[in-house]
Amino acid sequence: MGLLDFIKRIEPDKKKSPFLHTLYDGFFTFAYTPNEVTKGGVHVKDGMDLKRTMIHVVIALQLCYIFGTYNIGHQHFSAMGIYTGFLEGFHLKLVHGLIKLLPLFVVANLVGLGIEFWFAAKKGHGIEEGFLVSGALIPLIMPPDLPLWILAVAVAFAVIIGKEAFGGTGMNIWNIALLARVFVFFAYPTTIAGDEVWVSGFDTIAPGEMPQYGWAHGLFDALFNWGGLDTFKAAASASIVDGFTGATPLSLAYQGGWERITEVYTPTQMWWGTIPGSIGESSKPLILIGAAILLITRIASWRIMLSMFIGAALMAMLMNAWGASPFMEVPWYYQFWMGSFFFAMAFMATDPVTAASTNTGKWIYGFLIGFIGMIVRVLNPAYPEGWMLSILFLNTFAPLMDHYTIQANISKRLKRA
Amino acid sequence: MELVNIFITSAFIENLALAYFLGMCSYLAVSKTVKTAFGLGLAVIFVLGITMPINWIINTHLLSESGLFKTDLTFLRFILFIAVIASMVQLVEMVIEKFSPSLYNSLGIFLPLITVNCAILGGSLFMVSNEYNFPESVAFGLGGGFGWFLAIIAIAAIREKIKYSNVPPALRGLGMAFLLTGLMGLAFMSLMGIDPAIL
Repeated sequence: MGLLDFIKRIEPDKKKSPFLHTLYDGFFTFAYTPNEVTKGGVHVKDGMDLKRTMIHVVIALQLCYIFGTYNIGHQHFSAMGIYTGFLEGFHLKLVHGLIKLLPLFVVANLVGLGIEFWFAAKKGHGIEEGFLVSGALIPLIMPPDLPLWILAVAVAFAVIIGKEAFGGTGMNIWNIALLARVFVFFAYPTTIAGDEVWVSGFDTIAPGEMPQYGWAHGLFDALFNWGGLDTFKAAASASIVDGFTGATPLSLAYQGGWERITEVYTPTQMWWGTIPGSIGESSKPLILIGAAILLITRIASWRIMLSMFIGAALMAMLMNAWGASPFMEVPWYYQFWMGSFFFAMAFMATDPVTAASTNTGKWIYGFLIGFIGMIVRVLNPAYPEGWMLSILFLNTFAPLMDHYTIQANISKRLKRA
Repeated sequence: MELVNIFITSAFIENLALAYFLGMCSYLAVSKTVKTAFGLGLAVIFVLGITMPINWIINTHLLSESGLFKTDLTFLRFILFIAVIASMVQLVEMVIEKFSPSLYNSLGIFLPLITVNCAILGGSLFMVSNEYNFPESVAFGLGGGFGWFLAIIAIAAIREKIKYSNVPPALRGLGMAFLLTGLMGLAFMSLMGIDPAIL
């Protein structure tokens, strides 16, 4: 009598309680492969399925999660000018980050998975694991202080309108995670577009502002007191130092180009990601490790990544040659040091569902994302960063690229025949 | 350079279909396959590109106070614009019927309906309110037509793709097309807010 037998015994009846059965089925296939195997002359030899594909992406995101959690705390204390060394006040930074990130993660996944389970039960088929990746991506691309109800509304919009209306996992045209973010971006612009939101734990970002700590911080304080460590209570008497704005490198670039950025951040800082920003997108090397995992396991397309890099680099070089504003004069290689280019390249543009599926289409798709994204970033003062919008823009045209690639192949072969 | 600005603005930033939601009837009805959408899109580019300069000439040299009759005849603007558009559409219809009967058949009633396609009249009225000169109105017409063309072939490709999707029965057909249009409008907002003067 093993665990498997026990689990099989509690399987709810599919007819009597479809919702419970879907729920059961979803969690059962997390742990076990279904018993049904194909028999006879099938040619597919790999056991790779959708769920394993998705788990690889989630694994590739883990480093971003760990760093993002810590960076929330690091930015919080840096703003007050205490524990400025990266490893000073380690426990406080980690705990503050967890208190901010965990609710976002839980709410995003509860809402998203809840809707997905409900639709699966309604349609009477098994849970499609499509939300695993979106649920892991969404918290990483949000500012740490986003109100939870806004996150819930945005996730509901993205899952219902962006995915379930199209028929579920694998059918959507636009990237789910980006739809959730673009919804927040246009519906609640003050929560995501300003300079103030990127540093968490304050009502407003102004010199002299005291940090806001909730009951969770108090709970951990009791623990830290007992262990003889520094506490949040001691830090609460400090306030934001003079001259601190919480501005991201991109908003500084608008004001005065590269010189203005280097007054506040060093290139090393920007490369390693100890700067304010959305939670998971700041640390470039860790994202590149994630991208390498995706490339080695062949989940993501190297064509899209490479062509997107080429497109962005080319546009940045053109802007260097042009040089009409301080932002355009930022050296093209430093354009990759700031903003969320690598995160968008590794995890957003390569989404196999919404990207073009033909090889020629992928080259064009990636190139145009890089090209247009750089235009939006530098030339469009309305938006701080371009990748989210340019990826959504090109998602719109991905089916068209596939259509014409296939048509061209058909007519080429007809000519040959 | 100024003309390029106007072309880019009218094609991408102030897209007639996805920013102003003009010309929705044929946009939603003829976007089931890429082939017919392509044909209709080309027809719209042609009609917009031709009617815009003709309407500009009529507006500045016949209707305005400095024009031929030395009186303010702008109350005739709508009827004259419509007349020009209708005759141009007739021309396009004859050309398409002669050279591509299959496209003519698949476009059906929507080809003569370009006459009342609000994107065309709307384009002419935008031209008047923006006070364009002659070359600018040509650029605006071609750009607006190109933007509308891009929008309709993009939605047609998406609709061809989701033919294989398990769309909820209540949403199949037009409901889905409305949803798609809205989401495409969201995606097109990426370029909104760019000041073309910077180019």
